Amino acid sequence: MEYFKSAFSSILDNKARSLLTMLGIIIGISSVITILAIGNGMKHTIGGELDELQSGGVTINIDAKKTDRYLTAEEVKQIGEQIPEAYGASPQISGYGQAKAKNDLSANITGGNETIIHSQTEKLADGRFFTESDVASASPVGVMTQSAAILLFRSMDAVGMTFDATINGITKTITVVGLIESDEESISDAWKSVSAGELWQYINVYTPHTLLTQGFSLPGENIQSFTVFPEPGKQDEVALKAKRLAENMLGLRGQKAVSIQSFASMLETFNKILNIATMVVTLIAAISLIVGGIGVMNIMTVSVTERTREIGIRKALGARTGSILIQFLFESALLTLIGGILGMIAGYGLTFIVSKFMNFPPKILLSDVALVVLISTSIGLFFGIYPAHRAAKMSPIEALRYE
Amino acid sequence: MSKLVEIINVSKIYNPGENEVRALDGVSLSIDKGEFVAIIGQSGSGKSTLMNILGCLDTPTAGIYRLHGMDVSHMSDNEQSDVRNMEIGFIFQGFNLIQSLTALENVELPLTYRGVAKKERLKLSKNALSRVGLANRMDHKPQEMSGGQQQRVAIARAIAQAPPILLADEPTGNLDSGSSREIIEIIKRLHSEGRTVILITHDPGIAAQAKRIITISDGKIKSDVINTAQEG
Repeated sequence: MEYFKSAFSSILDNKARSLLTMLGIIIGISSVITILAIGNGMKHTIGGELDELQSGGVTINIDAKKTDRYLTAEEVKQIGEQIPEAYGASPQISGYGQAKAKNDLSANITGGNETIIHSQTEKLADGRFFTESDVASASPVGVMTQSAAILLFRSMDAVGMTFDATINGITKTITVVGLIESDEESISDAWKSVSAGELWQYINVYTPHTLLTQGFSLPGENIQSFTVFPEPGKQDEVALKAKRLAENMLGLRGQKAVSIQSFASMLETFNKILNIATMVVTLIAAISLIVGGIGVMNIMTVSVTERTREIGIRKALGARTGSILIQFLFESALLTLIGGILGMIAGYGLTFIVSKFMNFPPKILLSDVALVVLISTSIGLFFGIYPAHRAAKMSPIEALRYE
Repeated sequence: MSKLVEIINVSKIYNPGENEVRALDGVSLSIDKGEFVAIIGQSGSGKSTLMNILGCLDTPTAGIYRLHGMDVSHMSDNEQSDVRNMEIGFIFQGFNLIQSLTALENVELPLTYRGVAKKERLKLSKNALSRVGLANRMDHKPQEMSGGQQQRVAIARAIAQAPPILLADEPTGNLDSGSSREIIEIIKRLHSEGRTVILITHDPGIAAQAKRIITISDGKIKSDVINTAQEG
């Protein structure tokens, strides 16, 4: 406690110098925090989206550069029906726009046939999925998750409610016919966002693909990309069969115009890129932290020299070598700890701003906070050893004589 | 009963070899509990070296120093620190207060190193400051006080832990005559309350206040006399 008080007042006595000394630590820690928070937020959001929506789906693409042929919705459905190990196959059209009911949110509207329910693993909690006849008649019906319903309607009891969807300037009123179960965490997160008024998330809505192509005039009648939904563990087999069937239908065998793209591999690519980015920033941060640590060592050495007389007095009054050592180690650790905390605040501020622009919630993990405290304190302790040792081994007579 | 301070044939030699300097050369002396001794000498006489050894700030090259009958001449740094903390109250010429601490915090310092609990420490420190007449200046920093007041804080720091020996090194060297008298009066009072005082000075006028005067020159004791003027 005494060490803490003494270290704290010594840091406060030299505010400007302390702050400049901390700068390297602040920059290092804030960049680590920013990349960790952005990385976690992106993994959580994108990974969550991919997991939820496409977990088992395998996408088959027809390369528009190699052929001008395409499949119809009917043919895609047939492909699904001809593969026994698949739950089905569906066109997958995305429309990005606004959804408006009680709240106004960005929406990612996914159009497909009735088998697209198999693109996610959660059960229906309420109502029904849209049917073959909804698809045939391009009914303005939609299905979303319970947490999306909370964000949009501020209610989980949303079956039968309507919202206005606007894509490319066209607005249609869509009726919710079913809700997909959300886990408790996303439900409570959604309620928190609603009560805080923080509505930057996307909501995902499933509708018949015919609604998007006919109702909203989105392109997609001519299908060059579709998704098949394999039974668990049958991904590779189903993908290959779907590819063959598409090639046969199009008469494109052996031309490499049809390719398989699985979401698992997309997720892998995304994670790889994110990991490389994390590594690069971590490396920069590590260098910044080492440079910052050397700065702390320099300033502490200067401070020890300036305070030679004080050290002499303390020793004359009975301070042991260890007390002086601990006093200066404490001071340098406290210096870097404060720097680390300031860096953490700066980092989260930066993350908050970035997340506003990039449409994902910042994710602050307790383990990151613990990491920052640990790293910054260790830097202070490590780089404080030399100056503290210098202070501790001073001879009291010489230190007292120092002017 | 053993003497409080007992120095036997102590030498301190710097630069051993051809250009060696014998700062102390075979000095022996003993001081009993409750004495008021002045050690007087010109600069370069060896009195500062003697004071460093008496204060356990330095160790002799040869000879034995016994404090309370305990040999302290061959102790480790940490053991010396503990002896200084428990046995000796220092009063320096330059006051040697820590500028960033208040008067009270300066007085608390040796008690902190001794491991005295906060409450007890505050009580002892406030009590010591009151005894030197600074009860109303406890929260002042050294630069807000006059030289005389700073030296009184240093005295409070030296007596707060009630050490057996008060070691005063030119305590009035940086003070005007008024403050000097004040400080000498406080030191005399502390002696009359039963403390052992060792006063190091070059000023015969200050030395004359003590009851025993030891004169040192060229690292040797020249005379050791009872000051009859102060006796009784």
